[in-house]
Amino acid sequence: MAMMGGGMNGEKKEIILQARDLHYAYSEEKMALDGVSLDIREGEKIAVMGSNGAGKSTFFLNINGVLKSESGEIAYRGEKMTKKTLNHLRKNVGIVFQDADNQIIASTVRAEVSFGPMNLKLPRTEVAGRVDEALAYMNLQGFENRPPHYLSGGEKKRVSIADILAMHPEIIIFDEPTAALDPVNADMLEEVLGKMAEDGKTILISTHDVDFAYRWAERIVVFCGGRIIADGEPLEVFRDSEVLKRANLKRPMLLDIYEILRGQGLVKEGMACPRNVDEFAALFAGKL
Amino acid sequence: MAYQGYAVQQARRPAFYERPFPATDDSRNGVYFAALSLFGKQEGDGSPERGKKGIAMTKKQKKLVVFITALCGMFAIVPAANAMHIMEGFLPITFCVLWGVFCVPFLVVGFMNIRKRLDENRQMMMLLALTGAFVFVISSLKIPSVTGSCSHMTGTGLGAILFGPCVTSILGIIVLIFQAILLAHGGVTSLGANCFSMAIAGPLLSFGLYKLLAKSGMNRKVNVFIAAFAGDLFTYCVTSFQLALAHPSPTGGFGYALVKYLGVFAPTQVPLAVIEGILTVVIVIGLETYAKDELKGIGFLKGAQNG
Amino acid sequence: METYVQMGLGLTAIAMGLQGIFQSGWEKRRHGHRHHRLGHKHDGAVFSIDYYAYASRLRGWNPGFKALFSMVCLVLCIACDNAYVSLGTILLMGYITVIMGGLSFRRYISLMTIPIVFLFFGSVAIAVGVAPFPVGQYHVHMGFFYLYCSDESILATLRLIARAFGAVSAMYMLTLSTPASEVILVLRRIHVPRLIVELMNMIYRYIFLMMDTQCRMKNAAESRLGYCDFRTSCISFGQVAGNLLVVSLKKGNAYYQALEARCYDGELRFLEEEKAVTAGQAAVAVVGVAALLAVWGLTV
Repeated sequence: MAMMGGGMNGEKKEIILQARDLHYAYSEEKMALDGVSLDIREGEKIAVMGSNGAGKSTFFLNINGVLKSESGEIAYRGEKMTKKTLNHLRKNVGIVFQDADNQIIASTVRAEVSFGPMNLKLPRTEVAGRVDEALAYMNLQGFENRPPHYLSGGEKKRVSIADILAMHPEIIIFDEPTAALDPVNADMLEEVLGKMAEDGKTILISTHDVDFAYRWAERIVVFCGGRIIADGEPLEVFRDSEVLKRANLKRPMLLDIYEILRGQGLVKEGMACPRNVDEFAALFAGKL
Repeated sequence: MAYQGYAVQQARRPAFYERPFPATDDSRNGVYFAALSLFGKQEGDGSPERGKKGIAMTKKQKKLVVFITALCGMFAIVPAANAMHIMEGFLPITFCVLWGVFCVPFLVVGFMNIRKRLDENRQMMMLLALTGAFVFVISSLKIPSVTGSCSHMTGTGLGAILFGPCVTSILGIIVLIFQAILLAHGGVTSLGANCFSMAIAGPLLSFGLYKLLAKSGMNRKVNVFIAAFAGDLFTYCVTSFQLALAHPSPTGGFGYALVKYLGVFAPTQVPLAVIEGILTVVIVIGLETYAKDELKGIGFLKGAQNG
Repeated sequence: METYVQMGLGLTAIAMGLQGIFQSGWEKRRHGHRHHRLGHKHDGAVFSIDYYAYASRLRGWNPGFKALFSMVCLVLCIACDNAYVSLGTILLMGYITVIMGGLSFRRYISLMTIPIVFLFFGSVAIAVGVAPFPVGQYHVHMGFFYLYCSDESILATLRLIARAFGAVSAMYMLTLSTPASEVILVLRRIHVPRLIVELMNMIYRYIFLMMDTQCRMKNAAESRLGYCDFRTSCISFGQVAGNLLVVSLKKGNAYYQALEARCYDGELRFLEEEKAVTAGQAAVAVVGVAALLAVWGLTV
């Protein structure tokens, strides 16, 4: 635990995006965002959690500039965003939507991936280069001329990620990326996420999968009723049973197992809680 | 669909007999007796000689029997898919161009109308595309029919009632292009003619009737039914008109040709128009029950919803 | 005369036979065949044409070139209105689609039978006349009028049928080798208004989405006996259709947000690739058109 906490706080990276006291309502009765403030730093891996309707997607659309908050402000690299600079936000914050079918618009994969870069008014050669690069990144070479509607769910998801990659955003947001994926494609997605992290991308993922969030994220933000009720390291958040209860979350299985083992005295005090199966195995490397 | 029954009915007419004509030789006329014997009716002019001749089939007569049997069988197999789309190559080139030219003013009006709406609200593009896709999907679905063969709606009446004739004309021609490309219903050269009958004439009548009847305080369901039914029927009449113009009868001219086409398509098209009317009612009622807010909220269907 | 009748009978019988055989054969095949996972999930053969277009060996050809070639042949076939030119068009286009494009012959024939119902009604009305008095070589009294036909009318009908099939085959050459998205691209190149082209692009994309949704709704309705008899079928059909529009309209908002998130500003811009026309392809087209013209010149 100590191992994980310290590092990040020690050398804090530059804040890319700063949201201050955002309020947003779809209708008059209920606030979808009720005073949300969040700092996103360079290279962070953030899991955004919370039950359906807690305001995660609304928050994403706000920091991407599609929705305009009623009050509060968003600053990108220290510069306050106004209506005129909204496109700046859209350019640098990319969203991979939950349902790829709602995102894919063109009728060939190449055209689809080129849509974002073309909107950035880049020269054609540059667009072509970015498209090829994004397709290669997502392992989609050979799909250029295929129509998205004949692709499988996993392939569509990859296309929708390539869409965003081609725009070279600094922050990439995934809205429930694993919701419609089979296990193999979910693994593929994690691989891609790992690759992106290595490349220093800042990533936000909304998910209901506590095990995934626990093993992947460096920071967890929990939404509830349009507010942020917890924001911290995974272990810290998942040990707060009050937060878990309010946000309809459960503890990750590895954490439960770790606690049981510790209760039985099988794990020594001071040994860090494993975040994934490999770390778990390493825990017992000498003993079994 | 209903054609099989129709053929049998016609053949059983008591007055079904033939008369010699100078330009023909008897053995040829005899083929028609094959048809009689096929259905086991010999009530014609009662001439025993002719009757016998009919029963003792010649080689040609046998062929005719095969032919007619095959025809009847055909309607059990072949889907009566969008029979009112004039197929590729069926119209002479002048008519292809002419009908295309006729469509232009309507399409221009529709185009202007759509562009105006788009300038007001860019999001309209998305909704227009969705509605266009909707009309296509509706027109490509097999609809329930009594005989078990499959047929399709035109969706024209529905489009006109919901979206007005201007939008329907533009969406209509796009849908027709897709039907030609994706489904091989209709064609490129007959696009003008099909567009006129299906995307312009039918919807205009449907829309006009719908508005008129709505003003007169007619029951909504009945109103929608009549509008859709009449629009469909009118489409079929216009298509027959177009065919008759393009292929007039050598003896009777345009008038006879029109009667012929109306008659030939009636057995499939009239029941289809009824079904189309019923389905349109069900769809409109369905939409009003659980989509009134959406449709109004967008301000997209306000022209239609106040009826 | 006899030959015409025989020809007519033969053609019809062949067409019907083929239709029957191929339809059943096709249905069987599409379930066993892996590729059809894409095509069959919707109503029957609805999207087979688009799917074959993606699989065609001619897909690499420049779509504009294919469109031009097919339209020239189409117009030639209709304008000449000559049985030999029509037959030539059928053979030429069939050769290109099946042999060069690699489409299976059975599928090609079964696609050819799609417009057969219209063709049947349309040509019967031309072949058979109605008159209040007996005329023509063959006629029959129907109470108060006569149905008749003559050698000329039968000949004209057969010519028309050949012309129609020639035209259909020319159109198929394009549609069975060029996916709709590329056809739309051609429309843009020939300066069809941007609004229309963009609408077409989006409609094309949404058609498949809505088909999927419709299919799921229909299955759900069917699993609850929603299609057990005609009356229920009508109600279910209408409800599915109505619901389809509602679901789609709701989705419209999500689509729009997704577009805006990628800096959409009112114009859809895509990167389209350019396919070059090779000398060989041009030669095929030139030789083909020249051959049709020659046939016409020789038989006029």
